[in-house]
Amino acid sequence: MTQVVTGDFVGRAGAGSPAVRVRGLTRVYGEGKAAVHALRGVDVDIPANSLSMLVGPSGCGKTTLVSIISGVLDATEGTCEVLGHEWTALSPNERTHIRGRLVGFIFQQFNLIPTLTVLENTSIPLLIQGVRPKEALARAAASLSKVGLGDRLNAMPSQFSGGMQQRVAIARALVAEPRLLICDEPTASLDSATGQAVMDLIRSAARPETNGQDRCVIVVTHDTRIFHYADTIYEMEDGRLKSHVSEHIMHEARHHPQPPESA
Amino acid sequence: MNRIALKMLFGDKGKYLSLVVGLSFAVLLIAQQGAIFLGLVKRSTGPLQNTAQPDFWVVDPHTEYVGDIRPLAERDLARVRSVAGVAWAEPFFTSRGNVDLPNGSYKTAQIIGISRSTMIGQPPEILEGRLDDLRAPDAIMVEASALKRIGPLKIGDVLRLNDKRARVVGIVRAKLGFDSNAIFYTTIDNAIRFTPVGREAISFFFVKAKEGADRAAVAEGIKARTGLDALTQQQFTARTVRFILTQTGIGINFGITVALGFVVGLAVVGAVFYQFTLENLRHFAVLKAMGTRNRRLVGMVLLQALVVGCIGYGIGVGLAGAFSLTGRRPGAELSVLFPWQLMVVALFSMLACTGLGSLLSIRRVMRLEPAVVFK
Ligand SMILES: Nc1ncnc2c1ncn2[C@@H]1O[C@H](COP(=O)(O)OP(=O)(O)OP(=O)(O)O)[C@@H](O)[C@H]1O
Ligand SMILES: [Mg+2]
Repeated sequence: MTQVVTGDFVGRAGAGSPAVRVRGLTRVYGEGKAAVHALRGVDVDIPANSLSMLVGPSGCGKTTLVSIISGVLDATEGTCEVLGHEWTALSPNERTHIRGRLVGFIFQQFNLIPTLTVLENTSIPLLIQGVRPKEALARAAASLSKVGLGDRLNAMPSQFSGGMQQRVAIARALVAEPRLLICDEPTASLDSATGQAVMDLIRSAARPETNGQDRCVIVVTHDTRIFHYADTIYEMEDGRLKSHVSEHIMHEARHHPQPPESA
Repeated sequence: MNRIALKMLFGDKGKYLSLVVGLSFAVLLIAQQGAIFLGLVKRSTGPLQNTAQPDFWVVDPHTEYVGDIRPLAERDLARVRSVAGVAWAEPFFTSRGNVDLPNGSYKTAQIIGISRSTMIGQPPEILEGRLDDLRAPDAIMVEASALKRIGPLKIGDVLRLNDKRARVVGIVRAKLGFDSNAIFYTTIDNAIRFTPVGREAISFFFVKAKEGADRAAVAEGIKARTGLDALTQQQFTARTVRFILTQTGIGINFGITVALGFVVGLAVVGAVFYQFTLENLRHFAVLKAMGTRNRRLVGMVLLQALVVGCIGYGIGVGLAGAFSLTGRRPGAELSVLFPWQLMVVALFSMLACTGLGSLLSIRRVMRLEPAVVFK
């Protein structure tokens, strides 16, 4: 079911214009001799209503690319248009505002605030948008129910296992119904079965039939055990997208054994 | 979001407590030292508060504070009396003497002599005895707070003052001066017997203006006639306070302590609060990535600082207030003064501490790159 794509391929689910359109993107960290060319010219269209995976060796620029796509990092050159918004054309404040409305984040380290309950953590994106606390908490509770934590609303994150914390993070990322969901190594801190469960949730977030709206999900990962969740896979190498995805990745994506409980 | 900022703050108990303790300490230091300082200043003007009857204290023009006396001549008293608008003018005498203690030791005491005929400048409060008895040749009245230093005395007791016999005829209460352990009230004639002086024996003249007389004109008249300054109680108080502030080490020393309190508060808030912000930087970055504007984040940091500041202020001022209450017990050694103005000063010190102390944190949060969330 996974499509392996080249740099200019538009995935099967991307009817209409792509959710993300990247052109000539470069990013240099530092200056002079110490300069690191993390991105060396990336062109890609990423479709909506699909789960795209960004894979490649450590240091090849995956995180840098999704940072720019999600609007938390400036590109050195090139353009990045997300759902009709060109990041470079926006003021910092506008960018922050639009990021809050359009983008959800899931991180390897969960990044929950330890002194808040999981319910409060989950409500944060709504509070940021100015939703009134009462309504925000109600919607957060609904979001937590969807990830199976509806009965643990007032627990503290530290009382949760890694997998449960990542489910809280998913509930938080989805509570404001973002149209772009960026996940950086969401399963890297989790064991295999827990990782599969988390990917099931992320995958369903990319399915219009389960949430009724266009959503583009981008997952950065090293984790070969989850490659088969991808609709499309983009492989990076040394700051560029490869035009052909490596054979071993295609193999993993197609032939990874399904875990028994999700079969 | 404010709730979230507060939960972040209270959740980190260690940092929160050190912030509160540091700030309380700073506020305590500022308020308490301030109170002692004001108390000392007030005490230095104590002799000025013991008598409300006269309009003017007439003193040598070079007099800098109430404890600094250059004796005045008898004939100037007559001249003052002749100035237009003067209702009356009375002499007032003060000097120091040694009183022998039963254990063979001695104490220095202030001897106050008042006019035998009018008793102007009399002790503000007589606890025991009759003022009239003071007219007897060796009579003295003892200020009550001195009793614990020179031993219990009662009416009829005899003690030696500058090696002369003095008989206690009353116990009074009066404000002590800056440098007085004990006060003995007596008449000028007696006082001069206790402390032999030259021909110019009078310390101050007390002057009352006539009803309806122009006070300023009376003061000018006295100046013109005698060259002496006629100071209202207020003017003399101001002169005394200025002297304490500028001519003694007291102003500087207390200023240093108060500044120290401020610096300690600033350093603690600056360092601990910055540390607190650094430890929460990741969370701030996540909030920023999720769409929180800088303005909002700065608001959160300021709220955290302000809450810590207010709690520290409350505790610090509370402790300083408790200190000053113990100092207000009758007979307490510590002289403190704790007016509301001091609380306002402490409040602004606290606000400055937290404001300046959180500047670094604010800068850090404003410059925070949300991209660090992926690190
Ligand atoms: N803030 C930074 N300053 C300097 N260099 C950086 C910075 N962030 C990333 N780099 C460098 O840029 C290159 C790409 O980094 P990036 O984090 O995008 O890679 P990655 O593909 O996500 O790697 P990994 O799989 O290890 O997470 C690396 O060489 C990295 O060292
Ligand atoms: Mg990375």
